[in-house]
Amino acid sequence: MLFNSIDFAIFLPIVFILYWFVTNNNLKLQNFLIVAASSLFYGWWDWRFLSLILFSTLVDYLVGIGLSKQENKHKRKVLLWTSILVNLGFLGFFKYYNFFLDNFITAFTFFGTEIKSNSLNIILPVGISFYTFQTLSYSIDVYKRKLEPTKDFVAFSAFVSFFPQLVAGPIERATHLLPQFYKKRTFDYSKAVDGMRQILWGLFKKIVIADNCAEYANLIFNNSADYSGSTLVLGALFFTFQIYGDFSGYSDIAIGTSRLFGFDLMRNFNFPYFSRDIAEFWRRWHISLSTWFRDYLYIPLGGSRGGTWMKVRNTFAIFIVSGFWHGANWTFIVWGALNAIYFLPLLLTNNNRNNLETVAQGKFLPSIKELAFMLLTFGLTVFAWIFFRADNIGHAISYISEILSPSLFSIPKFAGMGRALTIIILVVTFVFVEWKGREGQYAISNLGIKWKRPLRYAMYYAIIIAIFWFGGKEQQFIYFQF
Amino acid sequence: MKKFIIKIIFISLPILLSILFMEILLRNIPNDYELKKEYLDEHSSEIETIILGSSHSFYGINPDYFSTKTFNASHISQSLNYDFEIIKKYQNNFNNLKTIVLPISYFTLFGKLEAGSESWRVKNYIIYYGLNSSKSLTDYSEVLSNRINVNIKRLVSYYVLGNSAISCTRLGWGTSYNSKNARDLVESGKTAAKRHTRDDINSDKSQQIFNDNILALNSIIKWCKDNNHKILLLTPPAFETYRQNLNLEQLNTTIKTTSEVCSNYDNCTYMNLLSDTNFVSKDFYDADHLSEIGAKKLSRLINEKIIEMK
Repeated sequence: MLFNSIDFAIFLPIVFILYWFVTNNNLKLQNFLIVAASSLFYGWWDWRFLSLILFSTLVDYLVGIGLSKQENKHKRKVLLWTSILVNLGFLGFFKYYNFFLDNFITAFTFFGTEIKSNSLNIILPVGISFYTFQTLSYSIDVYKRKLEPTKDFVAFSAFVSFFPQLVAGPIERATHLLPQFYKKRTFDYSKAVDGMRQILWGLFKKIVIADNCAEYANLIFNNSADYSGSTLVLGALFFTFQIYGDFSGYSDIAIGTSRLFGFDLMRNFNFPYFSRDIAEFWRRWHISLSTWFRDYLYIPLGGSRGGTWMKVRNTFAIFIVSGFWHGANWTFIVWGALNAIYFLPLLLTNNNRNNLETVAQGKFLPSIKELAFMLLTFGLTVFAWIFFRADNIGHAISYISEILSPSLFSIPKFAGMGRALTIIILVVTFVFVEWKGREGQYAISNLGIKWKRPLRYAMYYAIIIAIFWFGGKEQQFIYFQF
Repeated sequence: MKKFIIKIIFISLPILLSILFMEILLRNIPNDYELKKEYLDEHSSEIETIILGSSHSFYGINPDYFSTKTFNASHISQSLNYDFEIIKKYQNNFNNLKTIVLPISYFTLFGKLEAGSESWRVKNYIIYYGLNSSKSLTDYSEVLSNRINVNIKRLVSYYVLGNSAISCTRLGWGTSYNSKNARDLVESGKTAAKRHTRDDINSDKSQQIFNDNILALNSIIKWCKDNNHKILLLTPPAFETYRQNLNLEQLNTTIKTTSEVCSNYDNCTYMNLLSDTNFVSKDFYDADHLSEIGAKKLSRLINEKIIEMK
C-alpha cells in the first residue's frame, strides 16, 4: 500500500479508530492490531513475502531469547552469526544473486572462459533492505548487552513490521523503538496535530515536488543522448529534488503517522541540501542509515582511530557498502565511492565536524562564505546523483561528457518546457519554505502555529489544493526498490 | 481525542464534498466509453464483425465500409487484456458474431494499459464498462485518476463551453484524426516510434507483460474457435518515417510471434500491412495513424479479406 494512495487514505483512519477506540487502550491488543494492520499494509503488495518477514522475526526473536540464556562467549557468537547470516542471506539472495552471478560470468568471459548463465527471475521483496537492518540492530544490540531481549513476541513482531516505517524506514534501532511497544500509550492531541501537519508536508514533497520533477528527470535521463549539456544539467537538478522530495517525503509521512499512534521515530532528514560540506550532508541525509552503518560497521572496523590508511579503508568501506545497499548495480558503488572521495579530505584534515549546527542559525540569510560552501556541496551532490540515477556506468559517463561539452552553454530545450517552468517555480518556492523552516523538525513544523485559525487553515487548504492540482495517479516511492 | 477528530472532519469535509461533487459532474459527461458500452448493451446480439484494439483501429477502421453489421469497440491505448475483457463481458450476447478483427501493432505485445503512461484510462473500463479489473481504488474514480486541472478543463469544456467529449461515430470509429489537421509525418514518425519502443525488451518486467499478452491473445483466439468465429489479426499500415525508427528486435518478435500463434489455429488469419505500399502519405493523419482517407482504404481491404475468409 502506498502512502500516497486512496487505499492508504481509507486504511489509516480505520486503523486509527480501531487502535484508540476498540482496543480500549489495552497494550497487548494495540500491539496485536499493529501487527495485523502492518501485515495487511505489506500484503497489499505481495502477501507471499509476509512469510519472509515472519521468518526473519522468528529467527531474531529466538536468537534474542537464546542470547539471554547463554553466557558462553563462543555460543553467543554462533547465535549472533545465525541472525546475521539468515538476514543477510535473504537480502543477498533476493537483491544481489543475479548481480554477483552476472559479474562472475563477465569476469570469466573476460579471461576467455565461457560459462553458461543461470540467472533467476527473482522478485525483490519491498522494503527487505530496511526491515533486515532493523532486525539486525536488535540481535547485535542484544549480543552487545545494550538491550534486554524481549519475551513478548507480539511486541517484537510489531517492532519489526511497524507499518509506517516497514518498507522505507527510518531504520529504527531496537533500543529506541522496541521499548515504546512495552509502554502504555495515551493519545496526545498536540502530538497528533503535529503528526498530521508532517504527513501533509510529506505528501506535498512526494506528490507535488518529487512526482513532478520525476516526469522531467525521467524524460531527460531516458533520452539523454538527444539533449544538450545544459538540458542534462537541468535533468540532474530535477532528479536531485525528485529523490529528496520522494524519500524525505516518505520519512515525513512515516514519522507523522507514527505520532498518530503515540510513537516517536527517529529523524531521517535534516535539510541536507543546505549543508556546507559533505560530512554535514551525510549527517543530514538518510540519517537512520548513515548512523546504522556508523554504529554497526564503521566503529567496529576501527572508525577514525588508527593511521591514515585505516581511516581511508574504513571510509571507503562504509560509503561503498552504503552505495551497494541501495541496489545491485555498479552505479551505486561508484556513487558511494565518489562520496567517500568527497569526504576523505575533510576527515584526513580533521575538518569533518566543523558544521554541526544549522546554517545561519537565527538569521534570515547565510553569509557569502556559507552560501558559497552550500552551493559547492550542492554541486558535488548533484554530480554524484548522476551516477545514482543512470542506468549503468556507461550511461553516466556519456551523460557527464555531454554536460562537459560546449552545449552546456546552450539554452535548455525539451518537450513540455512550459510546464517544466511551472515546476521549477514550485521547486524554488519549496526551497524557500525549507530554508525558512530549517531550524524545525520539518519545514512547516513552526509555520503558522501562531497565526489566526482562518489563516492557518488557509495554509492547509493551499497545500491540499496544490497536492490535488499537481498530483496525478499515485507513483511508487523510489526507495521501495531498495 | 474528540477535538482532534472534529477538527479533522471539519478540515476534510469541504474537500470530500468538492471531490464528490466533481465526481458526479465528470461522470455525467457523455464519453466514448459510455457510448460504446450502451451500443454493445443494446446491439451486441446483432453484430457480425467486431473490431478491437487501440488507436490504430479506433481511427483506422470505419465500420461504415463493411458489408456486414460491424462495430468498432476499440479505444485509445486499449491493450489485449481489455480486448479480452470486453469479449468476455458480452460473450453470451454475441449471437450473430462471425468475425473479430484484432490489430497487433508494433507495441501491442509489449504494452499493457495499466503499466504505461495512459494508465489513467483504466477507470473508464471500471466506471463505464463495469469491468472489475483493478486493485487500485484510484481507478474507480474520475477525480482521482487525473490531475485536478485536467478535470477542471474537462468540466469547463463540457458544462461552460458546451463542447462534446465524444470523439467517435455511433458505430465506434474515431473522427478527430482528420486529413485537414494532419501532423508532420517526419517528426511524428520519430516520436511515435520512440514512444512505442520498449528500452528494456528483455527485462523481467517486459517479459512478464509479453507473456501476459500472449496468454490474452491465445485466449481470444481460442474463445473464437470454441464459438466458431473467425479472427483476423492485422498489423496496421504505418508511414515509412515510423517504420524506419522501429527497433528491429521488438518488431521481428511481434511479427514472428503473431504468425506463430495464429498458425496454431485454423480459424485465425494474419495480415501484416505495416509496409503496405497502397498506403501513401495522404492516407495518414500522422506517421502511425490513418486519416479518414486511409481508414476508408483499410476498412475496405479488411472487409474484402473477411469475405475471402468465409
